[in-house]
Amino acid sequence: MLSRVADNLYWMARFIERAENLARLMQASTELLLDSETLGSRYLNDYWDPVLTATAMEEQFRELYPNGTAADVGPFMTLNEENELSITMCLRNARENARTVRDQISDEMWTELNDLYLFITSRATISLFQRAPENVYDRIIQGSLFFHGITNATMARTEGWQFIQLGKYLERADKTSRFLDIRVHAGPDGTSLDSIQWTSILRSASAFGTYRSEVGGEPTAEGVIDLLVFSTDFPRSIRFCVREIDKLLHRISGAPSGTYCNAAEREAGRLLATLNFGGHGEILERGLHEYMDDIQKVLNDLGQSIFDTYVILPQDQLRLTFIPSSESQQLRWQVLQQQQQQQQ
Amino acid sequence: MLLDSYDTEGLFDEMFDGGREVRAHYQLLRERLDTMSREELDQKIKNLETLFLRQGITFTVYGDQRGTERVFPFDPIPRIIPADEWQTIEDGLVQRITALNLFLYDIYHERKILRDKVIPEEVILSAAHYRPEFVDVDVPRDIYIHICGTDLIRDRDGSYLVLEDNGRCPSGVSYVLENRMAMKRVFPNLFGSAGVRSVDSYAADLLGTLQYIAPHAKPDPVCVLLTPGHYNSAYFEHSFLARQMGIEIVEGRDLIVVDGFVYMRTTRGLRQVDVIYRRLDDDFLDPKVFRKDSMLGVPGLVEAVRRGNVALANAIGTGVADDKVTYAYVEKMIKYYLDQDPILKQVPTYLAWDEKDRAYILDHLPELVVKAANESGGYGMLIGPRASKAEIEKFRELIIATPRNYIAQPVVYFSRHPTLTDGTVEGRHVDLRPFVLSGERTHILPGGLTRVALTKGSIVVNSSQGGGSKDTWVLHPSRT
Repeated sequence: MLSRVADNLYWMARFIERAENLARLMQASTELLLDSETLGSRYLNDYWDPVLTATAMEEQFRELYPNGTAADVGPFMTLNEENELSITMCLRNARENARTVRDQISDEMWTELNDLYLFITSRATISLFQRAPENVYDRIIQGSLFFHGITNATMARTEGWQFIQLGKYLERADKTSRFLDIRVHAGPDGTSLDSIQWTSILRSASAFGTYRSEVGGEPTAEGVIDLLVFSTDFPRSIRFCVREIDKLLHRISGAPSGTYCNAAEREAGRLLATLNFGGHGEILERGLHEYMDDIQKVLNDLGQSIFDTYVILPQDQLRLTFIPSSESQQLRWQVLQQQQQQQQ
Repeated sequence: MLLDSYDTEGLFDEMFDGGREVRAHYQLLRERLDTMSREELDQKIKNLETLFLRQGITFTVYGDQRGTERVFPFDPIPRIIPADEWQTIEDGLVQRITALNLFLYDIYHERKILRDKVIPEEVILSAAHYRPEFVDVDVPRDIYIHICGTDLIRDRDGSYLVLEDNGRCPSGVSYVLENRMAMKRVFPNLFGSAGVRSVDSYAADLLGTLQYIAPHAKPDPVCVLLTPGHYNSAYFEHSFLARQMGIEIVEGRDLIVVDGFVYMRTTRGLRQVDVIYRRLDDDFLDPKVFRKDSMLGVPGLVEAVRRGNVALANAIGTGVADDKVTYAYVEKMIKYYLDQDPILKQVPTYLAWDEKDRAYILDHLPELVVKAANESGGYGMLIGPRASKAEIEKFRELIIATPRNYIAQPVVYFSRHPTLTDGTVEGRHVDLRPFVLSGERTHILPGGLTRVALTKGSIVVNSSQGGGSKDTWVLHPSRT
């Protein structure tokens, strides 16, 4: 498979998964807010800070909304096209990647993703979002789930499928680790989280039902960590995702499991071992935030290693004889040249 | 009934003859249309547009930051061509492409046609797309134009005329295939037993054409489609064709030349490429040889082509054949190379570089259509009778400044075809672009793209300027 195609498929999956996770996070956070109706407006504004931090959008928010209030967060994170990280932009990126490799994915996959994009960018959706944002989030989550289901039902288990899965699980592991980190520096007096907030985290990861049936009782730090970090069976736990990544990498390279033949496999294997033999005790002792931070760093390195191994070749730096100075200039130049080609 | 108040206004119409009678090959369609209500038709068109939009069958509108995509407007009333008429078109196109390929071989080798003064040497050597770098370079099987889209129009008496040859990167064939798919899906009852020839074999024929030119007749060659990228207006078509043929669609950055061979970069290392169906202009193919600032090309590609290690379709330098000045000489070429009379006539053409012609053109600008020699897409064109004084003067200056770049033709007639408009069905001007493949043998796709100028009275059919398209039905011989 073309290296660039592998890269496009990987990012297509990452962006869809990211959109789904953001939608679920917004939904859960909005619901949690309804449980805290007595909050004053000052606390209300602070309420969203950890969400913005965890999703790395804080700076962007302050820039676009210098006097932003709680009411601005939803539109900013969801439909705003100036926010490069908003759900709409995630879906646009997913679709652009898919469009580039349309010949590699099934018609049904393309149609589902294109439908979702047409939905999120339609006028009707903008007004629906003002009236009933939860319906918009429902549609996004559903669209992503459909997409993954359709992928599994219509695509051969070739390398392309494996790169899609890699993107999905890497993004999911990253998001679960970020959601766990959200409320840590949040409580009004900086004290520990109460069960309402743990519930919200579980909901963000679509894990509340599973928690009830597998762990039971009021959510506690220990129980939530066991489920979202260490569960071997729950498909959104970090361990589950990393195990899938490890398997996929070995299937792509053909190296026997337990060994490695490139940096990505080595990093995935090492992280998996840590998770296989870890427990909530060490996390709580070390600090949830610090622990999740480390995991995110490893996942970042892993993504970079996959890119280095399968996408970039050493000749890449030497290819251009003419290089515009900045990256954005380069992109504009490229767009211009592509459009110049006479299609008679 | 939809067609009851239809008026041909005395113009040549595809569906109705001069006496306003339905032509025989349209009779069945007329009967079927009469059973449909306008509401039903409108609903179906809406479904169709949704279908196109959902499937992403769109073209990109340039000059728009967000890269807006539009559906290519589709008119549901098909254009029908009876078998005998089609036979003439087919014979004419085969004759024409044969002559054009002989001409290109000649121009890049012995240049007999220039030495014999059938075509003035300076016309060819000054053509913008002439590539002196390829003189004496052999191309596989001596074929230069493998894929050609020839635009035909019909004169006032109904005879087919060649308006232009597109022998570099003709586009639009994906719409032929998608239009057919859409018609079958949305108007199955229009088809019925109409005896329409299938267009399904195009992708297989195209792949066969590409495989045929593999270097050293290599068996099972690796073919790829080289696209400028997904910002190009025709990207949908590129990806559609690649998928239909089951070959990789690559961008310049996916390819690399090592020791004169071309490879694509895959997750498992480099893989050799034998044939490239390129949808990129010559100028951008190789920054080492042509435009140095090209970010879309492959450094070293031209050298690989020269060495015969990779084949390109179409070959480099075919633009000299579809130059609008060269066009004026194609009838002479046919006579010269094939010793035949041209089966398809063409539009009389005045050449601004010729002193006598130029004087005529400058004297008659308000009556003529002036075209730039190397533009396509309906750009760089003056339609005299509709132009303002200022536009005419602007072209006068352009012609005087660079006469080689301009030709002029009398205003040509485009036949009309019943077309769905907002309120009713009216006549709109249409042209026809059949697609010609030259490989082991010459395939003409039975159908082609009928483009329709949706604005009343207009003859500009280009999608970038308000054109739409129709499904084109070529009937089986037994149905005529």
